[in-house]
Amino acid sequence: MHWDLILWLISLISNIVLLVLLIYQLICLSDLEADYMNPYETAANINSLILPEFGLQAAFCALFLVTGHFFMFLVTLPVAIYHARLFARGEHLVDVTEIFRALSVEKKHRLIKLGLYLLFFFLVIFRFPAGSISSLSIFSSKHGDLDIRSSFLEF
Amino acid sequence: MRPFLSSGPVAGRPDGDGVRPPPPSAPGSAMPFASPRPMAGPPVPGFRPSPVVGFTDQIRPGPPPSHAPPTSNNFQQFSAPQYSGPPTNPPIRTPPVGPPNMNMASPMPPNMPPPIQRPGVPAPTPPLTFRPNSQVPPQPYAQAPPQPFAQGPPQPYAQGPPQPYAQGPPQPFAQGPPQPFNQGPPQPFAQGPPQPYAQGPPQPYAQGPPQPYGQPAYAQSPSQPGMQGFVEDFSSLSLGAVPGSMDPGLDSKALPRPLEGDVEPTVFNDMTMNCSPKYMRLTTSAIPNSQSLASRWHLPLGAVVSPLAEASEGEEVPILNFGSAGIIRCRRCRTYINPYITFTDGGRKWRCNMCALLNDVPGDYVAPLDATGRRIDADQRPELIRGSIEFVAPTEYMVRAPMPPLYFFLIDVSVSAVRSGMLEVVAQTIKSCLDEIPGYPRTQIGFITFDSTIHFYNMKSTLTQPQMMVVSDVDDIFVPLPDDLLVNLSESRNVVESFLDSLPSMFQDTVNVESAFGPALKAAYMVMSQLGGKLLIFQNTLPSIGLGRLRLRGEDPRVYGTDKEASLRVPEDPFYKQMAAECTKYQIGINVYAFSDKYTDIASLGTLSKYTGGQVYYYPSFRSTIHADKLRHELARDLTRETAWEAVMRIRCGKGVKFNSYHGNFMLRSTDLIALPAVDCDKAFAMQLGLEETLLTTQTVYFQVALLYTASCGERRIRVHTAAAPVVSDLGEMYRRADTGAIVSVLSRLAIEKTLSSKLEDARSYLQMKIVKSLKEYRNLYAVQHRLAGRMIYPESLKYLPSYGLALSKSMPLRGGHADALLDERCAVGSTMMTLPVKSLLKFLYPSLIRVDEFLLKASSPDADLKNVEKRLPLTAESLDARGVFILDDGLRFVIWIGRMFPPELAASLNIDFASDLSQVNGSNNEMSRRLMGLLKKLRESDPAYYQFCHLVRQGEQPKEGFYVLSNLIEDQTAGTNGYVDWIAQIHRQVQQNA
Repeated sequence: MHWDLILWLISLISNIVLLVLLIYQLICLSDLEADYMNPYETAANINSLILPEFGLQAAFCALFLVTGHFFMFLVTLPVAIYHARLFARGEHLVDVTEIFRALSVEKKHRLIKLGLYLLFFFLVIFRFPAGSISSLSIFSSKHGDLDIRSSFLEF
Repeated sequence: MRPFLSSGPVAGRPDGDGVRPPPPSAPGSAMPFASPRPMAGPPVPGFRPSPVVGFTDQIRPGPPPSHAPPTSNNFQQFSAPQYSGPPTNPPIRTPPVGPPNMNMASPMPPNMPPPIQRPGVPAPTPPLTFRPNSQVPPQPYAQAPPQPFAQGPPQPYAQGPPQPYAQGPPQPFAQGPPQPFNQGPPQPFAQGPPQPYAQGPPQPYAQGPPQPYGQPAYAQSPSQPGMQGFVEDFSSLSLGAVPGSMDPGLDSKALPRPLEGDVEPTVFNDMTMNCSPKYMRLTTSAIPNSQSLASRWHLPLGAVVSPLAEASEGEEVPILNFGSAGIIRCRRCRTYINPYITFTDGGRKWRCNMCALLNDVPGDYVAPLDATGRRIDADQRPELIRGSIEFVAPTEYMVRAPMPPLYFFLIDVSVSAVRSGMLEVVAQTIKSCLDEIPGYPRTQIGFITFDSTIHFYNMKSTLTQPQMMVVSDVDDIFVPLPDDLLVNLSESRNVVESFLDSLPSMFQDTVNVESAFGPALKAAYMVMSQLGGKLLIFQNTLPSIGLGRLRLRGEDPRVYGTDKEASLRVPEDPFYKQMAAECTKYQIGINVYAFSDKYTDIASLGTLSKYTGGQVYYYPSFRSTIHADKLRHELARDLTRETAWEAVMRIRCGKGVKFNSYHGNFMLRSTDLIALPAVDCDKAFAMQLGLEETLLTTQTVYFQVALLYTASCGERRIRVHTAAAPVVSDLGEMYRRADTGAIVSVLSRLAIEKTLSSKLEDARSYLQMKIVKSLKEYRNLYAVQHRLAGRMIYPESLKYLPSYGLALSKSMPLRGGHADALLDERCAVGSTMMTLPVKSLLKFLYPSLIRVDEFLLKASSPDADLKNVEKRLPLTAESLDARGVFILDDGLRFVIWIGRMFPPELAASLNIDFASDLSQVNGSNNEMSRRLMGLLKKLRESDPAYYQFCHLVRQGEQPKEGFYVLSNLIEDQTAGTNGYVDWIAQIHRQVQQNA
């Protein structure tokens, strides 16, 4: 039972980290646009985060596969494939020389990804826990949910 | 000068003289505002200052158009007509609306003369009446005073306005007469938007006669098939009426050909205080007033800027020093002081022309105004009358002490560099230029050579001989003696000279074929990063060791036509982009000289220049016996031309308009700040603008290019170019004021950029589509009123656009596929085209072909003939004559073509050696040869930026060199490409589809 709970916690935390990484990149890009940051800093900041983000996302996706949560795996798979494609083509890093030309595209891609990550987040919060919590309750019911309930009632 | 030049009698107001503008002092004088004249408040969109030209869209269904535009907007004259012409009804107008002062949107009390004026006219010279707009009722009123509309010629266009005249009310005409702008002094607005009736005969062509519209210029193109009883506002070509027939029915002689080369647009100078078109050219000097109008302008909307262009004699940009007072700039938008600002409040305040903010004039800069609102000292202040100006920047404009000019040489000394003789020529040239390198006595210089190892040279002034240090660990590069590698040229002059003397011999026995280019570049970067400067790279082989190693690619013809094709034209290794970005950061500009006879991957090496504001010089198969002169000239030019160091450039423009993309060799440091570590007079930059607001409310848009740089003398300076362009509401007007040169320049950059991300084919069709769309839109303007069947119509201003478009799609970077050009040449020429100024680009696209045999044989004085000789011929095989001698000059090289029937003994006397391919024509002593040399010299002087290498072609021999000519005969149909006639026919067909 605890495994499920741990899995749930891990995925929740990694999802939050993904969101943070992505939002930070978006902030860098909008700072660049508003001229609060120069292209060198922006590119360095963003590029340093891209591989961690890709790795974490891949792990996030693989975690569901390993633990047999195939629905969640399928949902997260497209993003992982997208990342793999970018990486394979060598297009994953932001190009400092062309950053202004690519700015709107980069932003758009990241905004779409942000939407997907938020979707994962809600799935993790609502759907996935539903499984783990119900498994929790099933587990407990096997061993006498009455006891637990009564103990709740008693307290 | 007559104040109302613009709307003078010619302007369709026969009684024009009857209406005399009040004396210049009028503006301030009490205008009868009390008269029931409508005062339009903020400038009404429907009413735009329009150049007199054209008369497209006004409809006046009712009575025949007969009203004289009251050019003088003296209200008095309105209420009490003094026209000598037909009687005028006193205008009955609805309540006064505030005076539209361009500067102030807020209405002013009607009976108070508005302070000053229009931004465009800060200082009209006395004869020009200076008239605040506000006195003019710009508002359309339904009951226009039927003023005698004098102009004669039938106005065919009056019917069916294909496009809304501005967003004005449907009866624009009704509002009639008082179009204030046409009477202005000859200032920008006078030539504003289409003032149809005001100026009688249409003056259709933006590039017409130089005088704005003083005289009627009838616009028929010579090729126009027949007058249709009225004047047409466009040019046309008649095409065979049989659709689908193979014969386009087009007379190839009638096609417009840009045989005069580049013609600088005259409309741009309508705004008399604009900078010279040499520095900045707009693709159309009429800015659309709405996004919807802009979207119908399918050509690029933008500018080509060449901030340091060489000024002609006597027109040098004045340099001003405001000293500690600082440079006067707008508080809010940071615009520099320029001729278009206006002074108010007795000269104590000035209004920014870009953002309309009222700024204080610094105490010691205040000067009283004269009656017209012009500063009395304006004539002594170049910044108030000149469009181009240079300020000496105080310390606020420096982040560090101005850097000394710094030249660093990174020279390949591998075996091919030595064998080709490159090393020797380079060493000699540098040595011969040492005296002329700018910036004495601060100039710094340094050298690194490399093959499979990297050689540093200690040139400390205390040494007698340079000390060479070899670093062979190219994987972990370090710089020995970092302080003595860069030395002051004047102090170490002897050491530098002895180094250059010994350089060729040092490596003459080398057998090293490797090239550790990447590590050497890194080393040079480490040496230079303290100061920045210019890095000149001489590269002879493909980089093969260490960082930035490159491999042979582009040999596979199968890649062409697939999506991978474009990847051949972009750098293979991200190292190059990173290095370029780092170099720009530390103010290092890179020029690449590439020499290899084999593939050197110019696509990757060129990236270094692309993002550092440099340029690529490419000498395929360099052999010093043949190409030495070219290299010598171009390297010397590079070393000695005036260079601006650690520069940044920004172009500001008025509210509602924004530059959103930039094209050329530079790196963007923020959304609108162009970083240029080293920039010179031979570079141009293109940019495109977009409208930020759906509707522009101003009547003029101003542009200001500011280049902040360190001059070689160590002074920090700001060069400012200011220009203004009217806002128009009429598409036809935009076409009339279009500038083909600038358009072609921007289009070529866009197309070349497109080849970096997609197929050549796509880039060509992109280009063609742009041309087709623009001509289709233009056709739609006139399709309603005219029978256009079988005719291709185009605006006079764009008559050369199709031919340049054809030339562009046949130019080296865009032409054909794998077999049509070597990849390296493609990339090198593409890179060059990204930097060329408009004039050189046009010449490159449509080279001049001249016939010289008569000139050579005739014995009269050479000077007199030169002019006759320079008559350009159309670029088709028909122009060539087997009995003649021709020179083809594209600005980058000459091809001398000698016909088969040209007497061999004469050819021999030219002392031309056909055996060695294209060797120089070595000047022998006979007259013909001297004349030929003289002619070549003269042609070369016309463009000193490049040395035109001379190829010799004898008709029927040397197929390879013959190709130089053939590939430049762009009007001919060569394998798989269109000839000019077909091209026109094809464009015409596409224009007609769904038209």
